[in-house]
Amino acid sequence: MIKVNHLYKTFKTPNRKEVKALVDFSAHIQKGEVVVIIGPSGSGKSTFLRCLNRLEEVDSGEIIIDGQSILEKKADINKVREELGMVFQHFNLFPHKTVIENVTLAQLIVRKRQKEKAMKIARDLLEKVGIADKESNYPSQLSGGQQQRVAIARALAMQPKIMMFDEATSALDPEMIGEVLEVMKTLAREGMTMLAVTHEMGFAREVSDRVIFMDGGQIVEEGTAEHFFNNPIHDRTKLFLSQIL
Amino acid sequence: MVFGKRSIITLAVLAVIIGWVYYFLTARGITYIWHWEQIPQLLFYHGTRTAAETTPSLHLGVLMIGFILTLKISAVAIVFAIILGTIVGIARLSSEPITRAISITFVELIRNTPLLVQIYIIYFFVGSMLRLSAFAAGTAALAIFEGAYVGEIVRAGIQSIHKGQMEAARSLGMSYGKAMRHIVLPQAFKRIIPPLAGQFISLVKDSSLVSVIALADLMFQGQQAVARTYSAFEIYFTVAALYLVMTSVLSMATQYIERRLAISD
Repeated sequence: MIKVNHLYKTFKTPNRKEVKALVDFSAHIQKGEVVVIIGPSGSGKSTFLRCLNRLEEVDSGEIIIDGQSILEKKADINKVREELGMVFQHFNLFPHKTVIENVTLAQLIVRKRQKEKAMKIARDLLEKVGIADKESNYPSQLSGGQQQRVAIARALAMQPKIMMFDEATSALDPEMIGEVLEVMKTLAREGMTMLAVTHEMGFAREVSDRVIFMDGGQIVEEGTAEHFFNNPIHDRTKLFLSQIL
Repeated sequence: MVFGKRSIITLAVLAVIIGWVYYFLTARGITYIWHWEQIPQLLFYHGTRTAAETTPSLHLGVLMIGFILTLKISAVAIVFAIILGTIVGIARLSSEPITRAISITFVELIRNTPLLVQIYIIYFFVGSMLRLSAFAAGTAALAIFEGAYVGEIVRAGIQSIHKGQMEAARSLGMSYGKAMRHIVLPQAFKRIIPPLAGQFISLVKDSSLVSVIALADLMFQGQQAVARTYSAFEIYFTVAALYLVMTSVLSMATQYIERRLAISD
């Protein structure tokens, strides 16, 4: 479903130093696969996700999603993004819109759905993430965990083929992480193709099909969660796991 | 209360100033004979305008006619200043270097030359080429001048919105334009209401400069009335008070809008 070949991405820091975020990065993701990406900060995990929907432009390489090469000039990036749901670390809900408006807006103006249909989809999703009673509230009136669940509903409302989670629980208070992870686990079990950058090893163990460990813009090691937590091969992986577990 | 605390203080200050002028003139032994009785008929009068009118009725006086024209000029200029300012502000943040350069040049050119000069240029040069009326030329000059300032305010407003908002909108498949229109601009405008209000208050006051191209606004009518009656103090105080009414209403209206929009905070 996703084929990424030889991706290079360099950032320029304000003092004109170059930081290599992705170096000859390649990965293939199957339909229905749940892939967890872990690694130290600055290893290129988030950059990889952000390159997939072109929030970052890559220097070179190839990304093919559903048979379509999305880095080509003629590729309609807005169409591609409709199929790639993204959940951010800081939720990025629209603060001037109510919960239900957050979940319906893109359905109405991007998917061009009828108002009634969009509302129905939104209400079903809010029900699913457990905040049906908050639909007329503004994001500022919700807790972090509730906001992130709205953000998940907002992304799901587009009915994307792939969901990407960019450290979706990192900004949450500890007692709110569980409720968001529950929603993510439900999605994973339903067969959604998922890419999750996370430090939640419990999530990786429970629902992931594959764990990718990145460092220095490259994949150091990948395998099942089983393999990963029991017999990691590389020293760098062992070191990282010993620090976080 | 319709008039807030601030309006009352403003009126009190005004009363003190008028009182001081009275005192100053008497203390200096200057016998200025006040003719406040001339003022009401400059606002409203009961009578006939032309010989054709046989029955007298209530009409607007010259100052009120000027007041209404100033309102019209200001309202039209505000609308166009917002449109122009939004375009300039967005262009200023464009990824296209040429678009950005045009926007910066426009802002610098307009902000760094006097409005009075711009009014003359637009009226005598552009206006005579395009056969613009004095109203169109004066309003256009005001809208362009204030639009440059509004552009800078809009730019600052857009930049103050966290880039995660644009990213979230784009990641949902919205085009840049849709994301701007539905997500970034509404939040930016809400945030820039206070500086915008200040700019529009300036606009109302700056509109008095269009009197130089014989546009019969409040200032122009005031000058004409002074020329006829020699009651400079009384008339200019009245003119100032009428400008104060407009700017105070604008000020109160923005405070009301701000309170209304604060719901989602």
